[in-house]
Formats: sequence, structure tokens, C-alpha cells
Amino acid sequence: MNMSSNAAQPVHIDRVRKVFGEFVAVREMSLNIEAGEFVTFLGPSGCGKSTTLKMLSGLLPQDSGEIRFGSKRIDMLPPNKRNIGLVFQNYALFPHMSVAENIAFGLRMRGWSRADKERRVEELLQLVRLEGLGSRKPEQLSGGQQQRVAVARALAFNPDLVLLDEPLSNLDAKLREQVRLDLRDIQRKANQTTIFVTHDQVEALVMSDRIVLMNKGGIEQVGTPFDLYATPATEFAARFVGANNLLAAALDLTSGQALARLGTGGVLPLSTRASGLDKTGMDIWYCLRPEHVAIRPASEGTEGLYAARVLDKIYQGTTVLVDLDVYDLGSIRAERPALEVGDLPVGADVRVQIERSHAVARPSK
Amino acid sequence: MSAMARSRLTPGLFFGRAALIIYLLIMVLWLTFPVVLVLLASFQGTLEVSFPAPINLDAYKTIPPAYWEAFWFTIRAALLATGIALVVAIPAAWGMVRGKLAGRRAISSLVLIPDVVPQLILGIALLTVFIPLRLSNSFLGVMLALVALSLSTGLRFTEALLEGLPEEYEHAAQSLGANKLTTFRLVVLPLVAPGVAIAALFIFMQNLITFELLFFISGPNATPIAIRLFSDIIDRGVVPYAVAMAGILVYVAIAFYTLVAVALGPKYMAGSVMSRKG
Repeated sequence: MNMSSNAAQPVHIDRVRKVFGEFVAVREMSLNIEAGEFVTFLGPSGCGKSTTLKMLSGLLPQDSGEIRFGSKRIDMLPPNKRNIGLVFQNYALFPHMSVAENIAFGLRMRGWSRADKERRVEELLQLVRLEGLGSRKPEQLSGGQQQRVAVARALAFNPDLVLLDEPLSNLDAKLREQVRLDLRDIQRKANQTTIFVTHDQVEALVMSDRIVLMNKGGIEQVGTPFDLYATPATEFAARFVGANNLLAAALDLTSGQALARLGTGGVLPLSTRASGLDKTGMDIWYCLRPEHVAIRPASEGTEGLYAARVLDKIYQGTTVLVDLDVYDLGSIRAERPALEVGDLPVGADVRVQIERSHAVARPSK
Repeated sequence: MSAMARSRLTPGLFFGRAALIIYLLIMVLWLTFPVVLVLLASFQGTLEVSFPAPINLDAYKTIPPAYWEAFWFTIRAALLATGIALVVAIPAAWGMVRGKLAGRRAISSLVLIPDVVPQLILGIALLTVFIPLRLSNSFLGVMLALVALSLSTGLRFTEALLEGLPEEYEHAAQSLGANKLTTFRLVVLPLVAPGVAIAALFIFMQNLITFELLFFISGPNATPIAIRLFSDIIDRGVVPYAVAMAGILVYVAIAFYTLVAVALGPKYMAGSVMSRKG
């Protein structure tokens, strides 16, 4: 189903900057987004992601820099001339208009004929699976349905770019999981270049083609969800995306193999390391995902294993978090399937195997 | 609330509840007493209301034509002033709230002046302006004086309304391709309409009974009903038809309130002036 009559547009953000008084909201930010790509701006509140979104939509003027759709420069245009579909956190559906009137609003502004409008509204109601609800008022719909109307309204007029500003944060947890996949599906069908803003790393990992991780007004890392999770580029990325054990260490490349020398005396091999970590003696964080910490019985030898004691267990349903005191390493958290460690008593002696590890630079304080 | 209703009624809770109800009843009685008295008096033709007493419409039948003239004069001036004030106030308030105008707070305070300065003083000030312009003792003069008063109230209402309207609706309309004017017409105006209707109700009522402000500007050619009642009661005492006319003003007030209430539904009428939320 091709919902889009015009081809999706690539988006170029070129050294865009925004300052509020003393506060640098967005440092010179540059980013190229491919046509039809689903890109997520991920970061904590105040990282500049929403400010960037507002500048893209024209609701906030940038201080410097350019924004282009394809070859067309749009940053000088007012919001109503940019051809951007915007989905708000609170949906901002017009309460005095029906669902169909909401969806058709952008078409009405563009002077579509009544017949064309009706056809397009039907098409979109079908796309977001709300057939037959066109005559309802937004307040008669559930949160998830309202959210889909907001998406339909933003897609209806074939925008060059769709911006989604934390559109899932008002939905309850169960619904959010469903709508996440729905949104991804709708975006793929509509083949619309999309920027999604969220502070929720799971949303970002599930939905995105690429994630732009932002912090303090700048980009920390751009990459696929896999890149970001497996090989974080910075300490911030290692801490923000997924859970991580971070141990202070120094890099050792003298043996030809990358090793991490911990302050506690332990020496550990590194599976991967962030770019730029190329000199022995560099301060690093040794990053260990909890799911890469395997727990073996104490009866196994010590070949490639570390002696440890179970400090605590936190049951989470499918998995159990196991806090371990690992000799030579310190305290480390593991995450194991519930069935595997169900009968492991607190205080037990075990062996720990490290399946995978990563290193990022450790900035000196 | 329902959890509270379900909870057990202890003696403390019972007396507390009873005290609150009595308190509210006294308040309602205090507020409605004059109105009830006037209505009773209008059906008995005298302010010395008695029970039981013959109820009749004699007082209403004897209302002189000059009273009706003053009544319709007031209704026309009050309606027109309300309309003009709102037509001016809504865009002005939008500009003030959304335009983030420098010195907006100062402007907001300045337009309050007609409300905080005693109306009698405003009336004298207007008189000095109106005499050279030949506006005193004219419909236009009375109407313009009411517009000044209505604008002050109108701006205060509409400013609060727009402050309460999330700006996201306007942002959404703009992102969908609407310019500022279209956004105002298709989104802002319909969303604040219920609040504006309530504002209109209050302003109209205020205009209907404005007295001090109009005391000096009115004259034989332009007599609002409040001033007609005043001068008649001073000259002749409380005549039955004056009480009947006071009753009619109460009916007008009730009729307008009912009109707005029916148009908006109960949701908006519980003292609320805020716009509806999405």
C-alpha cells in the first residue's frame, strides 16, 4: 500500500544552534536523515531533543544553522509553510471537531476538494485501524485511539517530514507496547521520513532505524539500535542505554590483545572498545552488561572463571537480577533467566563467566 | 467523593456536615433574599410584603410608557456595548497572551482601571469629554461609557480564557498549514466560545444595572432604566410599578442566564469561565 503520493524527502540539519540566555539548548548540531528513515532523538529531559524538534517544525527559530528538505531550505519558513506533520505528546486533537474533521484539517488548509478529502480520510482511518469512527469526537475515543488519530492527521497531507514528540508517554504500559509496534508499522507503510523524540530507551531501541543519542545539547552517538546497545561510544551512552556494570580501569594493549586493568587488581579481556581508545594506560570504563555475566556452580574450576558470592537476588518475572561480589572485580550485577537461578541461595559461592565486554573512555574528573 | 460517601458516618462527621449545610443555606438565603423580596413585592404592589396577601399583576399593568422606553433603551445599549467590547477584547487578549508583548502585565493592569476607580469619578471624567463632543444625554454616549466598562471586564475574562487554552492546539493548526488568522478563526475562537458566552452574560448583566457611571451622562433623551427608577423613587417614593420594573430586570437576568446555560450545557455553568480542555 503506497499511502504517499510524493516521494519521501531526506532531511539535512546543518550546524543548527539554539541558546536561551546563558543556557546552550542545542550546540551546533548536524545530522543527515535519509528519505523514509525512522530516526529517534533519545536523551534525558533537557538534552535538547525537544528544542531541536521545535526548530524543525518552525515553532522556535534557531539562532544559526540551516535545515533543508532535499535541496529545499525550510528554516526561514513559518510553521504553516513547512509541510511537516507534527504529533504532540498530548495529541492536541481539536476537541470541537470530529475525528474525520481533525484528519482532514491539513487537507482543508491545502484546498483539497470534498471528494478527495473524504477518500483520503477513509484511507487514513484504514491505515490507523479506526474505520467507522470518523464521526466520533476525540473525547469519545480511548487514549490509544486518540493517539492514532493524531498520527493520521499528521500523515494525511503527505508531509515531507513527520515529527513525533513523545507521543506514547500518556499511554499506560501495556498499551504503549502495542502502539509502539503499530506506529512503526504505520510509518513503514506510509514510507514517511520520521523523527521520533523520546526519553525512553526501550521505545528508541524497538522503533528506530537509527538512534540519535543526545545529552546536554549535543549528539553523543548516532547509530542503529544494535550499535548503540552493543558498542556505546561514550560513558553517557554506556550508562543511558540499557543497564551496565561500569568498572574503573586502565587500558592495556601491550600484549596485542586489549585488556582492562582494574584498580582492584583484576585483569580482564575486552571484547570491543569505543573508537579513540588506542593507547596503553588510557583511563577507561570497563562495561559489562548484566546479561553477559553467566553464573556457574562453584564446583566448576577457575579456568576463565571468577570466584564470586551471591549478595542479593531481585526477582523480575522472566529474569532475576543477581548482585554478586566478585573477587578481584568488586560488586557486579548479573541478569539471568528466572529458571536458571531460581534455587540459587543468597550467600552461595559461585563462579562467574564474562561473555562479552566493552570499553569507553573514562573522562578525568 | 464516592469513597467519602461510603465511609461510615461518625457523629463528628455528621455534625460537621450539618454545620456546612446550614452555613451554605444561610449564605444562599442572604444572597437571594433581596431578589425574592422584590419579586414578592412586585406581585403585591407594595414593599411591605405580607403573608398571606393577594397576588396580582396590577403593578406590572401600570408600568408607564417612559419606563418601557428606558428599559428598551438600556437593553439596546447593554447588548451593543457587550458585543463591541467582546469583538475588541478577544483579538486584543489573544495578542497580549500569545504575542508575548513586552509590558503586557502593565497593559493588563491598566485596563483594570475602569473596574477599580469608583464609577462616579469615571462618569464625571466622561462627562467632561462628552460635553464638547455632544455625546452626553445621547444613546451613543451611554453606549460608549458602557463599552469602556465592558472592555475592562471583557479583557480580563478573555485573557484568562486564552491563558487556560493550551497553546498546542494553535501549534497543531499551524503545523497543519493554517496561518495565524485561520488558526484564530477555526481553532481558538470555537474553543473559547463557551467561556466567551459566559463572559458576555456577566458583562451584559453589569451593563444592565450600571448606575453611577451613567448618572451624569444620561439625560431626558438618554435615560437608562436604573436611573429612571432612581429618580422616580426619589421623587415619588417606592411606587408599585417601580417594583414591578425591578422584577422585570430580575426576569431578564434569569432569562439570559438560562439561555447561556442551555446553549452550553451544565458542564460549563458551575461558575466556570475556563475554556474546555481536549
